[in-house]
Formats: sequence, C-alpha cells, structure tokens
Amino acid sequence: MIYRLTQEMLETTFEHFRHCGHGREECQALWLSPWEEPEAITRVVHPKHVAEFGGFVLDDAWLNAFWLELGDINCGIRVQVHIHPHEAFHSETDDAFPIIHRSGFLSLVIPNFALGPVGFDDAYLTEIQPDGSWRPVPIESRLVMT
Amino acid sequence: MLENVCRYPSEAVVERLREAERGLETAREKEREVQKEIVEAEAMVAKVIEEIENPRIFTVEVLYDGVKKPFEVRIEETVKHLLDKAIRAFGPLPNPHTLSLYKDGKELADTQTIKEAGIKPCDVLLLRPSKVKGGV
Repeated sequence: MIYRLTQEMLETTFEHFRHCGHGREECQALWLSPWEEPEAITRVVHPKHVAEFGGFVLDDAWLNAFWLELGDINCGIRVQVHIHPHEAFHSETDDAFPIIHRSGFLSLVIPNFALGPVGFDDAYLTEIQPDGSWRPVPIESRLVMT
Repeated sequence: MLENVCRYPSEAVVERLREAERGLETAREKEREVQKEIVEAEAMVAKVIEEIENPRIFTVEVLYDGVKKPFEVRIEETVKHLLDKAIRAFGPLPNPHTLSLYKDGKELADTQTIKEAGIKPCDVLLLRPSKVKGGV
C-alpha cells in the first residue's frame, strides 16, 4: 500500500522529535489512518515514553489507553517513526519490539535526531514481511507527500 | 319400648362434617403440590441467576490495532487458547509470541483459565505487544 501524508503532518512529526528529543534522546511518533480509508494518514501521535540516549520504551499504561482510543476512533497504526542519533537504520531492538506485528507494517527512521531539514533525506524505511522479518523498501514506494 | 328418634348431631350434619373434612384434605394436598412447585420454581430461578452471573460459555471482544472482533469462550479454556484464536483471526500476525492479551490494563497469564483470569461476558480484551521499544 502507498500511504498519503501531508507536509504539515511531517512537520508536526519533526517538531515532536526536536521538542521531545532535544537533540540527544530517541523519540517515537505514530502515523494513523482510518480503517475506512487506510491509505490517507490523518493523525500524528506522540506516545508517552521513557527516553534515554540509546533507546526509548513506550509507557505501558499509555499503550493500554491508546489501544482503546484506536478502537474508539476506528483508526489503525500504519507507520512507526523514530529518530536515531546519527545514521538511520533498524537495530535489533527496533526489529524485535515494533508496536504492530503485521505484514506490511512500516517503520521509518529519521537520522541525526531529526535536526536536519524536514523530509526524508537519509531516512530509512523498512517493512514487516509475512514471515516476520523486516525488509528495507524505497520510501517513495510506500509514502507519498500530498 | 320406644325407639330414641332424637339424634344429635344429626346424620345430615355428620355428613356435612365429613364432606368438609374431605374438602380440607383435598385443599391441603393442593397446597403441598403448590408448595412443591414453588420450591422447584425457586430452584430454577436460582439456577438461571447463577448461569447469568457465571455463564460457562459467553462472548468477549478482542481489540487489535483499532479493530474489535468477537470471540466465544468457555470458562475452562486457557487464556492461551483465546490468544491463539485472536492471533489467527487478526492474522497473519508474524512473531505471535510477542503478543499478549490485556484486561483492565494488566497482562493476562497464558496458563490461566478464562474463569481464573476473571474474564466476564462482553469484556473488551486488548491484543497488544508486551513491550514496544526502540534504540540503536
């Protein structure tokens, strides 16, 4: 599936990263879309988490509440986005602990704590395969800016 | 010798008394039957209330990624059995071992039965990863 994303949502995502990560901590954002129109990303969510240099963990109570909220608003998580200090790639931890375990789920990594220009320069996009492994995919093959 | 023709109580009155006594016995028999029916009805009411409060088979909902699906469960089944059913229904979900069921914010132990886990009819259970994290 190719997801449509607005520039405003991408900017909001970078704002979360810069404000929360302070250029020294990892942080995550989630892109949601309604089940009636899954290809249209309509919401950016900044999860409650504990961050430190080298990683982040989502708050368990927040995750429970968020799971119920997803049901209430009839939305699904299409892409998890997080930042790395330097190069963008998927670590073993990133591979093992995604928020969604479904073939086709996307994980986008933004380099340099998202302090660079708003966009996908040097970003890394990977996708869950039917066997549960991750495979890098070209960003333009899955995400389109509108 | 003259026959005594005056009897008290009279035959007619004695007969009325016998009739009344038979009627009383019949009424008492009916009362015993009704009493038995009341006891049976009370037992049935208690049984139905017990079934309503503690049903053996009922439906719960499982929520994954914003989608709810109904599942019929039996109180003696394990949570793992329901978890496997949910993963198949929402699937294919790779790496199913990373997923668990949650009720009232708490992760349910796979080995517990539905009854032991305190799962009730119409409960909404969350199917979600036990941990979500990332890092270099």
